Amino acid sequence: MKEFIKGLWHEHPVFRQLLGMCPTLAVTTSALNGISMGLSVVFVLFFSSLVVSLIKKIVPPQVRIAVYTVIIATFVTIVDIFLQAVFPDISMALGPFIPLIIVNCIILGRCEAFVSKHSLSDSLQDALGMGLGFTWGVFLLGSIRELFGDGSILGFRILSSNYNPLIVMILPAGAFIVLGFLVAIMNSLEK
Amino acid sequence: MIDLLLIFISTLLINNLVLSSFLGICPFLGVSGKIESAFGMGMAVTFVMTLATSIGWLIYHLILVKFGLLYLEYVVFILVIASLVQMVEMFIRKFSTNLYQSLGIFLPLITTNCAILGAALFMVSRNYNFLESVVFGFSGGLGFSLVLLIMAGIREELIYADIPKAFKGASLTLITAGLLALIFMGFSGLISA
Amino acid sequence: MKEVLKITGVLTSICIICVFLLSFVYGIAVEKIEINKQKRVEDAIINLAPNAEKIEKVKIDNETIYNLFNNKGKIFGYAFIAEGQGYQGKIKMLSVIDVSLKKLHGIEVVESIETPGLGAKIKDDPFKTQFININISKDIECLKDDPKNDNQIKSITGATVSSRAVTNILNKKINIIKNLVNKK
Repeated sequence: MKEFIKGLWHEHPVFRQLLGMCPTLAVTTSALNGISMGLSVVFVLFFSSLVVSLIKKIVPPQVRIAVYTVIIATFVTIVDIFLQAVFPDISMALGPFIPLIIVNCIILGRCEAFVSKHSLSDSLQDALGMGLGFTWGVFLLGSIRELFGDGSILGFRILSSNYNPLIVMILPAGAFIVLGFLVAIMNSLEK
Repeated sequence: MIDLLLIFISTLLINNLVLSSFLGICPFLGVSGKIESAFGMGMAVTFVMTLATSIGWLIYHLILVKFGLLYLEYVVFILVIASLVQMVEMFIRKFSTNLYQSLGIFLPLITTNCAILGAALFMVSRNYNFLESVVFGFSGGLGFSLVLLIMAGIREELIYADIPKAFKGASLTLITAGLLALIFMGFSGLISA
Repeated sequence: MKEVLKITGVLTSICIICVFLLSFVYGIAVEKIEINKQKRVEDAIINLAPNAEKIEKVKIDNETIYNLFNNKGKIFGYAFIAEGQGYQGKIKMLSVIDVSLKKLHGIEVVESIETPGLGAKIKDDPFKTQFININISKDIECLKDDPKNDNQIKSITGATVSSRAVTNILNKKINIIKNLVNKK
Protein backbone atom coordinates (compact mmCIF):
# COMPACT_ATOMS: atom_id res chain seq x y z
CA MET A 1 0.00 0.00 0.00
CA LYS A 2 2.88 2.33 0.84
CA GLU A 3 4.24 1.95 -2.69
CA PHE A 4 0.87 2.90 -4.14
CA ILE A 5 0.29 6.04 -2.04
CA LYS A 6 3.66 7.66 -2.58
CA GLY A 7 3.09 8.23 -6.30
CA LEU A 8 -0.05 10.20 -5.54
CA TRP A 9 1.64 12.85 -3.42
CA HIS A 10 5.11 12.59 -1.86
CA GLU A 11 6.86 11.35 -4.95
CA HIS A 12 4.37 12.75 -7.42
CA PRO A 13 5.85 12.06 -10.88
CA VAL A 14 4.94 15.43 -12.40
CA PHE A 15 5.24 17.92 -9.55
CA ARG A 16 8.03 16.34 -7.52
CA GLN A 17 10.10 14.22 -9.87
CA LEU A 18 9.44 16.28 -13.01
CA LEU A 19 9.08 13.16 -15.10
CA GLY A 20 7.05 12.90 -18.26
CA MET A 21 7.09 16.62 -18.93
CA CYS A 22 6.55 16.45 -22.69
CA PRO A 23 3.11 14.81 -22.72
CA THR A 24 2.22 16.71 -19.55
CA LEU A 25 2.68 20.03 -21.28
CA ALA A 26 1.66 19.05 -24.78
CA VAL A 27 -1.75 17.45 -24.27
CA THR A 28 -3.08 19.56 -21.43
CA THR A 29 -4.82 22.14 -23.60
CA SER A 30 -8.08 20.77 -22.20
CA ALA A 31 -9.13 18.70 -19.20
CA LEU A 32 -10.50 15.84 -21.30
CA ASN A 33 -7.27 15.45 -23.25
CA GLY A 34 -5.46 15.37 -19.92
CA ILE A 35 -7.57 12.51 -18.55
CA SER A 36 -7.34 10.43 -21.73
CA MET A 37 -3.57 10.82 -21.79
CA GLY A 38 -3.37 9.97 -18.08
CA LEU A 39 -5.35 6.77 -18.42
CA SER A 40 -3.35 5.65 -21.47
CA VAL A 41 -0.20 6.13 -19.40
CA VAL A 42 -1.68 4.09 -16.51
CA PHE A 43 -2.36 1.23 -18.92
CA VAL A 44 1.06 1.28 -20.54
CA LEU A 45 2.90 1.77 -17.24
CA PHE A 46 1.05 -1.11 -15.57
CA PHE A 47 1.63 -3.65 -18.32
CA SER A 48 5.20 -2.57 -19.02
CA SER A 49 6.05 -2.91 -15.31
CA LEU A 50 4.42 -6.33 -15.29
CA VAL A 51 6.39 -7.60 -18.27
CA VAL A 52 9.67 -5.96 -17.28
CA SER A 53 9.35 -7.39 -13.77
CA LEU A 54 8.85 -10.88 -15.19
CA ILE A 55 11.74 -10.81 -17.63
CA LYS A 56 14.25 -8.60 -15.80
CA LYS A 57 16.40 -11.58 -14.76
CA ILE A 58 17.03 -12.85 -18.27
CA VAL A 59 17.81 -9.47 -19.88
CA PRO A 60 21.54 -8.71 -20.13
CA PRO A 61 22.26 -5.27 -18.63
CA GLN A 62 23.86 -3.89 -21.82
CA VAL A 63 20.63 -4.08 -23.82
CA ARG A 64 18.30 -3.38 -20.90
CA ILE A 65 17.17 0.06 -22.14
CA ALA A 66 16.63 -1.16 -25.70
CA VAL A 67 14.54 -4.12 -24.51
CA TYR A 68 12.46 -1.95 -22.16
CA THR A 69 11.74 0.65 -24.83
CA VAL A 70 10.72 -2.03 -27.33
CA ILE A 71 8.30 -3.49 -24.80
CA ILE A 72 6.92 -0.05 -24.02
CA ALA A 73 6.62 0.79 -27.74
CA THR A 74 4.64 -2.42 -28.23
CA PHE A 75 2.09 -1.56 -25.55
CA VAL A 76 1.82 2.00 -26.82
CA THR A 77 1.09 0.75 -30.33
CA ILE A 78 -1.61 -1.49 -28.84
CA VAL A 79 -3.19 1.51 -27.09
CA ASP A 80 -2.97 3.47 -30.33
CA ILE A 81 -4.65 0.72 -32.37
CA PHE A 82 -7.28 0.22 -29.66
CA LEU A 83 -8.20 3.92 -29.56
CA GLN A 84 -8.35 4.12 -33.35
CA ALA A 85 -10.70 1.15 -33.47
CA VAL A 86 -12.94 1.84 -30.48
CA PHE A 87 -12.74 5.55 -29.63
CA PRO A 88 -11.93 7.27 -32.94
CA ASP A 89 -12.75 10.73 -31.55
CA ILE A 90 -10.26 10.53 -28.68
CA SER A 91 -7.75 9.02 -31.06
CA MET A 92 -8.14 12.06 -33.32
CA ALA A 93 -7.48 14.50 -30.49
CA LEU A 94 -4.56 12.63 -28.95
CA GLY A 95 -3.23 11.07 -32.14
CA PRO A 96 0.08 12.88 -32.45
CA PHE A 97 0.85 12.53 -28.75
CA ILE A 98 0.16 8.83 -28.20
CA PRO A 99 3.58 7.82 -29.56
CA LEU A 100 5.17 10.19 -27.08
CA ILE A 101 4.11 7.85 -24.27
CA ILE A 102 6.94 5.62 -25.49
CA VAL A 103 9.48 8.22 -24.55
CA ASN A 104 7.55 9.36 -21.50
CA CYS A 105 10.33 9.19 -18.96
CA ILE A 106 7.88 8.16 -16.25
CA ILE A 107 7.58 4.73 -17.80
CA LEU A 108 11.22 4.06 -18.60
CA GLY A 109 12.21 5.84 -15.40
CA ARG A 110 10.05 3.62 -13.22
CA CYS A 111 11.09 0.44 -15.06
CA GLU A 112 14.73 1.38 -14.62
CA ALA A 113 14.71 2.88 -11.13
CA PHE A 114 12.03 0.86 -9.35
CA VAL A 115 10.90 -2.30 -11.11
CA SER A 116 14.42 -3.59 -11.63
CA LYS A 117 15.05 -3.54 -7.86
CA HIS A 118 11.69 -4.53 -6.37
CA SER A 119 9.25 -7.45 -6.27
CA LEU A 120 6.41 -7.88 -8.72
CA SER A 121 3.61 -6.80 -6.39
CA ASP A 122 5.52 -3.72 -5.19
CA SER A 123 6.23 -2.82 -8.81
CA LEU A 124 2.59 -3.07 -9.83
CA GLN A 125 1.51 -0.91 -6.87
CA ASP A 126 4.18 1.60 -7.77
CA ALA A 127 3.03 1.60 -11.41
CA LEU A 128 -0.60 2.22 -10.48
CA GLY A 129 0.29 4.94 -7.98
CA MET A 130 2.61 6.76 -10.39
CA GLY A 131 0.12 6.38 -13.24
CA LEU A 132 -2.80 7.75 -11.23
CA GLY A 133 -0.61 10.50 -9.78
CA PHE A 134 0.31 11.47 -13.32
CA THR A 135 -3.38 11.38 -14.30
CA TRP A 136 -4.52 13.82 -11.62
CA GLY A 137 -1.56 16.04 -12.36
CA VAL A 138 -2.39 16.37 -16.05
CA PHE A 139 -6.10 16.69 -15.25
CA LEU A 140 -5.39 19.61 -12.91
CA LEU A 141 -3.10 21.30 -15.41
CA GLY A 142 -5.58 20.71 -18.25
CA SER A 143 -8.46 22.11 -16.21
CA ILE A 144 -6.59 25.28 -15.27
CA ARG A 145 -5.51 25.92 -18.85
CA GLU A 146 -8.96 25.19 -20.25
CA LEU A 147 -10.60 27.37 -17.61
CA PHE A 148 -8.50 30.45 -18.33
CA GLY A 149 -7.93 29.81 -22.00
CA ASP A 150 -11.49 28.95 -22.94
CA GLY A 151 -13.65 29.71 -19.91
CA SER A 152 -14.81 26.12 -19.46
CA ILE A 153 -13.83 22.81 -17.87
CA LEU A 154 -14.50 19.50 -19.65
CA GLY A 155 -16.47 21.54 -22.16
CA PHE A 156 -18.88 22.98 -19.53
CA ARG A 157 -18.89 26.75 -19.45
CA ILE A 158 -17.75 28.01 -16.02
CA LEU A 159 -16.85 31.64 -16.57
CA SER A 160 -19.49 33.91 -18.08
CA SER A 161 -19.44 34.38 -21.83
CA ASN A 162 -18.26 37.96 -21.29
CA TYR A 163 -14.96 36.50 -20.17
CA ASN A 164 -12.27 37.28 -22.69
CA PRO A 165 -10.19 34.07 -22.95
CA LEU A 166 -6.46 34.30 -22.29
CA ILE A 167 -5.29 32.51 -25.39
CA VAL A 168 -1.74 32.42 -24.06
CA MET A 169 -2.88 29.78 -21.54
CA ILE A 170 -3.50 27.33 -24.36
CA LEU A 171 -0.28 28.21 -26.13
CA PRO A 172 3.02 26.57 -25.11
CA ALA A 173 4.13 29.60 -23.08
CA GLY A 174 1.09 29.30 -20.83
CA ALA A 175 1.74 25.61 -20.26
CA PHE A 176 5.24 26.27 -18.96
CA ILE A 177 4.17 29.12 -16.71
CA VAL A 178 1.15 27.33 -15.17
CA LEU A 179 3.24 24.24 -14.49
CA GLY A 180 5.98 26.41 -12.97
CA PHE A 181 3.49 27.91 -10.54
CA LEU A 182 1.94 24.54 -9.70
CA VAL A 183 5.38 23.13 -8.86
CA ALA A 184 6.01 26.14 -6.61
CA ILE A 185 2.65 25.63 -4.88
CA MET A 186 3.41 21.95 -4.31
CA ASN A 187 6.82 22.90 -2.92
CA SER A 188 5.34 25.26 -0.38
CA LEU A 189 2.59 22.80 0.62
CA GLU A 190 5.18 20.14 1.27
CA LYS A 191 7.04 22.30 3.83
CA MET B 1 16.68 24.91 -52.38
CA ILE B 2 14.44 27.66 -51.03
CA ASP B 3 12.19 24.95 -49.57
CA LEU B 4 15.09 23.51 -47.62
CA LEU B 5 16.02 26.94 -46.30
CA LEU B 6 12.43 27.51 -45.19
CA ILE B 7 12.36 24.18 -43.37
CA PHE B 8 15.65 25.06 -41.73
CA ILE B 9 14.55 28.44 -40.43
CA SER B 10 11.08 27.41 -39.41
CA THR B 11 12.36 24.38 -37.49
CA LEU B 12 15.14 26.36 -35.86
CA LEU B 13 13.11 29.36 -34.70
CA ILE B 14 9.40 29.27 -35.40
CA ASN B 15 8.39 25.69 -34.73
CA ASN B 16 11.18 25.07 -32.27
CA LEU B 17 10.77 21.50 -31.03
CA VAL B 18 11.27 22.44 -27.37
CA LEU B 19 9.29 25.64 -27.13
CA SER B 20 6.40 24.97 -29.45
CA SER B 21 6.01 21.19 -29.55
CA PHE B 22 7.21 20.45 -26.00
CA LEU B 23 9.68 17.86 -27.21
CA GLY B 24 12.82 17.13 -25.24
CA ILE B 25 11.69 18.92 -22.10
CA CYS B 26 13.31 16.46 -19.68
CA PRO B 27 16.90 17.03 -20.82
CA PHE B 28 15.97 20.68 -21.31
CA LEU B 29 15.21 20.95 -17.59
CA GLY B 30 17.91 18.54 -16.47
CA VAL B 31 20.99 19.62 -18.41
CA SER B 32 20.45 23.34 -18.78
CA GLY B 33 22.24 24.22 -15.53
CA LYS B 34 25.66 24.78 -17.04
CA ILE B 35 26.62 26.10 -20.46
CA GLU B 36 29.32 23.49 -20.91
CA SER B 37 27.14 20.44 -20.45
CA ALA B 38 24.32 22.10 -22.37
CA PHE B 39 26.64 22.48 -25.33
CA GLY B 40 27.74 18.84 -25.25
CA MET B 41 24.20 17.59 -24.89
CA GLY B 42 23.06 19.81 -27.75
CA MET B 43 25.74 18.49 -30.07
CA ALA B 44 25.00 14.86 -29.17
CA VAL B 45 21.28 15.38 -29.80
CA THR B 46 21.91 17.18 -33.11
CA PHE B 47 24.09 14.31 -34.27
CA VAL B 48 21.68 11.57 -33.23
CA MET B 49 18.65 13.43 -34.55
CA THR B 50 20.13 14.01 -38.01
CA LEU B 51 21.09 10.34 -38.27
CA ALA B 52 17.75 9.20 -36.85
CA THR B 53 15.66 11.14 -39.36
CA SER B 54 17.87 10.01 -42.28
CA ILE B 55 17.97 6.33 -41.36
CA GLY B 56 14.38 6.45 -40.16
CA TRP B 57 13.27 7.87 -43.52
CA LEU B 58 15.06 5.12 -45.45
CA ILE B 59 13.62 2.34 -43.30
CA TYR B 60 10.14 3.84 -43.31
CA HIS B 61 9.86 4.37 -47.04
CA LEU B 62 11.92 1.45 -48.32
CA ILE B 63 10.75 -1.23 -45.90
CA LEU B 64 7.67 -0.35 -43.87
CA VAL B 65 5.64 1.30 -46.63
CA LYS B 66 6.60 -1.32 -49.16
CA PHE B 67 5.52 -4.26 -47.05
CA GLY B 68 2.50 -2.63 -45.41
CA LEU B 69 3.98 -2.80 -41.92
CA LEU B 70 3.10 0.74 -40.89
CA TYR B 71 1.86 -0.37 -37.48
CA LEU B 72 5.47 -1.27 -36.59
CA GLU B 73 6.49 2.37 -37.03
CA TYR B 74 7.02 3.17 -33.33
CA VAL B 75 8.88 -0.03 -32.50
CA VAL B 76 11.21 0.38 -35.47
CA PHE B 77 11.96 4.05 -34.84
CA ILE B 78 12.70 3.50 -31.18
CA LEU B 79 15.06 0.64 -32.03
CA VAL B 80 16.91 2.79 -34.56
CA ILE B 81 17.29 5.57 -32.00
CA ALA B 82 18.38 3.22 -29.20
CA SER B 83 21.10 1.67 -31.36
CA LEU B 84 22.28 5.08 -32.60
CA VAL B 85 22.61 6.31 -29.03
CA GLN B 86 24.57 3.21 -28.11
CA MET B 87 26.91 3.91 -31.01
CA VAL B 88 27.41 7.54 -30.08
CA GLU B 89 28.14 6.48 -26.51
CA MET B 90 30.85 4.04 -27.61
CA PHE B 91 32.25 6.62 -30.01
CA ILE B 92 32.53 9.38 -27.42
CA ARG B 93 33.97 7.04 -24.80
CA LYS B 94 36.72 6.09 -27.16
CA PHE B 95 37.66 9.52 -28.48
CA SER B 96 37.02 12.00 -25.72
CA THR B 97 37.26 10.96 -22.10
CA ASN B 98 36.47 14.50 -20.96
CA LEU B 99 33.30 14.73 -22.96
CA TYR B 100 32.33 11.25 -21.82
CA GLN B 101 32.75 12.17 -18.18
CA SER B 102 30.61 15.27 -18.45
CA LEU B 103 28.01 13.69 -20.74
CA GLY B 104 28.11 10.06 -19.65
CA ILE B 105 24.99 10.10 -17.54
CA PHE B 106 22.98 12.00 -20.12
CA LEU B 107 23.67 9.75 -23.05
CA PRO B 108 21.23 6.99 -22.10
CA LEU B 109 18.72 9.81 -21.59
CA ILE B 110 18.90 10.66 -25.27
CA THR B 111 17.13 7.37 -26.01
CA THR B 112 14.18 8.71 -24.09
CA ASN B 113 14.56 12.19 -25.53
CA CYS B 114 11.18 12.58 -27.12
CA ALA B 115 12.54 15.27 -29.42
CA ILE B 116 14.26 12.60 -31.48
CA LEU B 117 11.31 10.23 -31.75
CA GLY B 118 9.08 13.27 -32.24
CA ALA B 119 11.23 14.54 -35.09
CA ALA B 120 11.13 11.12 -36.75
CA LEU B 121 7.33 11.03 -36.49
CA PHE B 122 6.90 14.64 -37.68
CA MET B 123 9.04 13.85 -40.69
CA VAL B 124 6.63 11.06 -41.61
CA SER B 125 3.45 13.01 -40.98
CA ARG B 126 4.71 16.02 -42.94
CA ASN B 127 5.61 13.86 -45.94
CA TYR B 128 9.14 15.18 -46.22
CA ASN B 129 11.38 13.72 -48.92
CA PHE B 130 14.80 12.37 -48.02
CA LEU B 131 16.73 15.61 -48.32
CA GLU B 132 14.09 17.57 -46.44
CA SER B 133 14.17 14.98 -43.67
CA VAL B 134 17.91 15.32 -43.25
CA VAL B 135 17.65 19.11 -43.11
CA PHE B 136 14.72 18.84 -40.73
CA GLY B 137 16.59 16.51 -38.37
CA PHE B 138 19.67 18.70 -38.42
CA SER B 139 17.84 21.98 -37.84
CA GLY B 140 15.66 20.35 -35.18
CA GLY B 141 18.80 19.36 -33.30
CA LEU B 142 20.33 22.81 -33.73
CA GLY B 143 17.11 24.43 -32.51
CA PHE B 144 17.22 22.20 -29.45
CA SER B 145 20.86 23.18 -28.78
CA LEU B 146 20.08 26.86 -29.27
CA VAL B 147 17.27 26.88 -26.70
CA LEU B 148 19.31 24.72 -24.33
CA LEU B 149 22.24 27.16 -24.51
CA ILE B 150 20.08 30.25 -24.03
CA MET B 151 18.45 28.57 -21.05
CA ALA B 152 21.79 27.56 -19.53
CA GLY B 153 23.05 31.12 -19.92
CA ILE B 154 20.00 32.51 -18.14
CA ARG B 155 20.16 29.93 -15.37
CA GLU B 156 23.81 30.57 -14.63
CA GLU B 157 22.83 34.16 -13.87
CA LEU B 158 19.63 33.27 -12.02
CA ILE B 159 21.58 31.46 -9.30
CA TYR B 160 22.30 34.88 -7.82
CA ALA B 161 18.71 36.06 -7.96
CA ASP B 162 16.81 36.44 -4.73
CA ILE B 163 13.53 34.58 -5.19
CA PRO B 164 10.95 32.96 -2.87
CA LYS B 165 12.09 29.56 -1.67
CA ALA B 166 9.17 27.66 -3.20
CA PHE B 167 10.08 28.89 -6.68
CA LYS B 168 13.67 27.72 -6.49
CA GLY B 169 14.77 25.01 -8.91
CA ALA B 170 12.38 23.45 -11.39
CA SER B 171 9.61 25.95 -10.84
CA LEU B 172 11.74 28.93 -11.83
CA THR B 173 13.16 27.03 -14.79
CA LEU B 174 9.67 26.30 -16.08
CA ILE B 175 8.53 29.89 -15.77
CA THR B 176 11.69 31.08 -17.53
CA ALA B 177 10.97 28.58 -20.29
CA GLY B 178 7.47 30.02 -20.56
CA LEU B 179 8.83 33.52 -21.05
CA LEU B 180 11.31 32.19 -23.58
CA ALA B 181 8.45 30.54 -25.48
CA LEU B 182 6.64 33.89 -25.54
CA ILE B 183 9.74 35.53 -26.99
CA PHE B 184 10.08 32.85 -29.65
CA MET B 185 6.46 33.44 -30.66
CA GLY B 186 7.74 36.72 -32.04
CA PHE B 187 9.52 34.78 -34.77
CA SER B 188 6.26 33.42 -36.13
CA GLY B 189 5.85 36.33 -38.54
CA LEU B 190 9.24 35.62 -40.05
CA ILE B 191 7.95 33.41 -42.83
CA SER B 192 4.60 34.00 -44.44
CA ALA B 193 2.97 31.19 -46.31
CA MET C 1 31.53 -14.66 -27.47
CA LYS C 2 28.89 -16.42 -25.40
CA GLU C 3 27.91 -13.04 -23.98
CA VAL C 4 27.38 -11.57 -27.44
CA LEU C 5 25.21 -14.52 -28.46
CA LYS C 6 23.09 -14.12 -25.35
CA ILE C 7 22.58 -10.38 -25.90
CA THR C 8 21.65 -10.82 -29.54
CA GLY C 9 19.42 -13.76 -28.71
CA VAL C 10 17.44 -11.96 -26.02
CA LEU C 11 17.03 -8.77 -28.06
CA THR C 12 16.00 -10.65 -31.19
CA SER C 13 13.51 -12.90 -29.44
CA ILE C 14 11.90 -9.97 -27.61
CA CYS C 15 11.53 -8.12 -30.91
CA ILE C 16 10.04 -11.15 -32.61
CA ILE C 17 7.52 -11.69 -29.80
CA CYS C 18 6.52 -8.01 -29.90
CA VAL C 19 6.11 -8.02 -33.66
CA PHE C 20 3.89 -11.11 -33.51
CA LEU C 21 1.79 -9.60 -30.76
CA LEU C 22 1.36 -6.40 -32.75
CA SER C 23 0.44 -8.05 -36.00
CA PHE C 24 -2.12 -10.12 -34.08
CA VAL C 25 -3.74 -7.06 -32.46
CA TYR C 26 -3.59 -5.12 -35.72
CA GLY C 27 -5.21 -8.01 -37.57
CA ILE C 28 -8.20 -7.89 -35.25
CA ALA C 29 -8.56 -4.12 -35.29
CA VAL C 30 -7.79 -3.26 -38.91
CA GLU C 31 -11.34 -3.80 -40.13
CA LYS C 32 -12.82 -1.63 -37.41
CA ILE C 33 -10.31 1.16 -38.11
CA GLU C 34 -11.14 1.15 -41.82
CA ILE C 35 -14.86 1.31 -41.02
CA ASN C 36 -14.25 4.28 -38.70
CA LYS C 37 -12.29 6.12 -41.36
CA GLN C 38 -14.96 5.41 -43.95
CA LYS C 39 -17.67 6.56 -41.57
CA ARG C 40 -15.87 9.82 -40.81
CA VAL C 41 -15.69 10.61 -44.52
CA GLU C 42 -19.33 9.72 -45.10
CA ASP C 43 -20.50 11.73 -42.09
CA ALA C 44 -18.60 14.74 -43.35
CA ILE C 45 -20.10 14.37 -46.85
CA ILE C 46 -23.66 14.13 -45.48
CA ASN C 47 -22.97 17.21 -43.38
CA LEU C 48 -21.97 19.23 -46.42
CA ALA C 49 -24.47 17.78 -48.85
CA PRO C 50 -27.51 16.52 -46.92
CA ASN C 51 -29.37 15.67 -50.12
CA ALA C 52 -26.84 13.00 -51.11
CA GLU C 53 -28.83 9.78 -51.55
CA LYS C 54 -26.00 7.65 -52.81
CA ILE C 55 -22.24 8.02 -52.54
CA GLU C 56 -20.05 6.27 -55.04
CA LYS C 57 -16.30 6.09 -54.60
CA VAL C 58 -14.30 6.18 -57.84
CA LYS C 59 -10.60 6.28 -58.54
CA ILE C 60 -9.21 8.12 -61.57
CA ASP C 61 -5.49 8.59 -62.15
CA ASN C 62 -4.67 7.81 -58.49
CA GLU C 63 -7.14 10.44 -57.26
CA THR C 64 -10.14 9.35 -55.24
CA ILE C 65 -13.35 11.26 -55.74
CA TYR C 66 -16.85 10.52 -54.49
CA ASN C 67 -19.72 10.91 -56.96
CA LEU C 68 -22.79 12.21 -55.12
CA PHE C 69 -26.24 11.28 -56.43
CA ASN C 70 -29.47 13.07 -55.51
CA ASN C 71 -32.84 11.32 -55.07
CA LYS C 72 -33.45 11.39 -58.84
CA GLY C 73 -30.27 9.38 -59.38
CA LYS C 74 -28.39 12.27 -60.97
CA ILE C 75 -24.88 13.37 -60.01
CA PHE C 76 -25.11 16.79 -58.35
CA GLY C 77 -21.58 17.09 -56.99
CA TYR C 78 -18.26 15.49 -56.23
CA ALA C 79 -16.70 15.10 -52.81
CA PHE C 80 -12.94 14.98 -52.47
CA ILE C 81 -10.28 14.94 -49.78
CA ALA C 82 -7.53 17.56 -49.85
CA GLU C 83 -4.53 17.52 -47.58
CA GLY C 84 -1.34 19.47 -47.10
CA GLN C 85 0.94 21.22 -44.68
CA GLY C 86 -0.56 23.67 -42.19
CA TYR C 87 1.15 25.66 -39.45
CA GLN C 88 1.78 22.83 -36.99
CA GLY C 89 1.29 19.79 -39.19
CA LYS C 90 -0.93 18.11 -41.69
CA ILE C 91 -4.37 19.55 -42.44
CA LYS C 92 -6.79 17.13 -44.04
CA MET C 93 -10.20 18.26 -45.15
CA LEU C 94 -13.16 17.12 -47.12
CA SER C 95 -15.02 19.31 -49.54
CA VAL C 96 -17.92 18.99 -51.95
CA ILE C 97 -17.70 20.68 -55.34
CA ASP C 98 -20.84 21.36 -57.34
CA VAL C 99 -21.37 19.44 -60.59
CA SER C 100 -21.15 22.77 -62.47
CA LEU C 101 -17.58 23.09 -61.10
CA LYS C 102 -18.41 26.74 -60.28
CA LYS C 103 -18.94 26.61 -56.51
CA LEU C 104 -18.22 24.61 -53.36
CA HIS C 105 -20.89 23.23 -51.05
CA GLY C 106 -18.54 23.84 -48.12
CA ILE C 107 -15.57 22.30 -46.34
CA GLU C 108 -15.13 20.06 -43.31
CA VAL C 109 -11.76 19.71 -41.58
CA VAL C 110 -11.25 16.03 -40.82
CA GLU C 111 -7.78 16.13 -39.36
CA SER C 112 -5.52 18.90 -38.09
CA ILE C 113 -3.22 19.68 -35.19
CA GLU C 114 -3.27 23.47 -35.50
CA THR C 115 -2.81 25.56 -32.36
CA PRO C 116 -5.90 25.30 -30.12
CA GLY C 117 -7.65 28.63 -29.76
CA LEU C 118 -5.99 30.04 -32.89
CA GLY C 119 -5.31 27.90 -35.95
CA ALA C 120 -7.69 25.23 -34.71
CA LYS C 121 -10.52 27.66 -35.47
CA ILE C 122 -10.32 26.54 -39.11
CA LYS C 123 -12.60 23.72 -37.92
CA ASP C 124 -15.16 26.12 -36.47
CA ASP C 125 -18.11 28.01 -37.77
CA PRO C 126 -17.34 31.59 -38.64
CA PHE C 127 -14.38 30.51 -40.72
CA LYS C 128 -15.81 27.29 -42.15
CA THR C 129 -19.13 28.76 -43.27
CA GLN C 130 -17.32 31.24 -45.56
CA PHE C 131 -16.71 28.34 -47.92
CA ILE C 132 -20.38 27.53 -48.41
CA ASN C 133 -21.32 28.39 -52.00
CA ILE C 134 -18.01 30.15 -52.57
CA ASN C 135 -17.20 30.89 -56.20
CA ILE C 136 -14.36 28.75 -57.52
CA SER C 137 -14.22 29.85 -61.16
CA LYS C 138 -11.05 31.61 -60.01
CA ASP C 139 -8.72 30.61 -57.17
CA ILE C 140 -10.04 31.26 -53.68
CA GLU C 141 -8.31 34.24 -52.09
CA CYS C 142 -7.57 34.68 -48.41
CA LEU C 143 -7.74 38.28 -47.16
CA LYS C 144 -6.98 39.94 -43.85
CA ASP C 145 -9.93 42.32 -44.31
CA ASP C 146 -13.56 41.66 -45.08
CA PRO C 147 -14.03 40.00 -48.47
CA LYS C 148 -15.44 41.99 -51.41
CA ASN C 149 -15.82 39.35 -54.10
CA ASP C 150 -17.53 35.97 -53.90
CA ASN C 151 -14.25 34.09 -54.28
CA GLN C 152 -12.66 35.63 -51.19
CA ILE C 153 -12.63 34.76 -47.51
CA LYS C 154 -11.40 36.51 -44.38
CA SER C 155 -8.56 34.84 -42.50
CA ILE C 156 -8.67 34.07 -38.78
CA THR C 157 -7.13 36.85 -36.68
CA GLY C 158 -3.74 35.69 -35.42
CA ALA C 159 -3.76 32.57 -37.56
CA THR C 160 -3.10 33.81 -41.08
CA VAL C 161 -0.75 30.93 -41.79
CA SER C 162 -3.36 28.29 -41.01
CA SER C 163 -6.05 30.16 -42.98
CA ARG C 164 -3.80 30.58 -46.01
CA ALA C 165 -2.82 26.92 -45.79
CA VAL C 166 -6.48 25.95 -46.06
CA THR C 167 -7.10 28.02 -49.20
CA ASN C 168 -3.82 26.95 -50.81
CA ILE C 169 -4.52 23.26 -50.22
CA LEU C 170 -8.06 23.68 -51.55
CA ASN C 171 -7.08 25.64 -54.68
CA LYS C 172 -4.48 23.08 -55.63
CA LYS C 173 -6.88 20.19 -55.28
CA ILE C 174 -9.82 21.96 -56.92
CA ASN C 175 -7.75 22.47 -60.07
CA ILE C 176 -6.85 18.79 -60.14
CA ILE C 177 -10.49 17.78 -59.68
CA LYS C 178 -11.67 20.20 -62.40
CA ASN C 179 -9.21 18.68 -64.87
CA LEU C 180 -10.23 15.15 -63.97
CA VAL C 181 -13.94 15.82 -64.32
CA ASN C 182 -13.49 17.67 -67.59
CA LYS C 183 -11.46 14.81 -69.01
CA LYS C 184 -14.16 12.36 -67.97
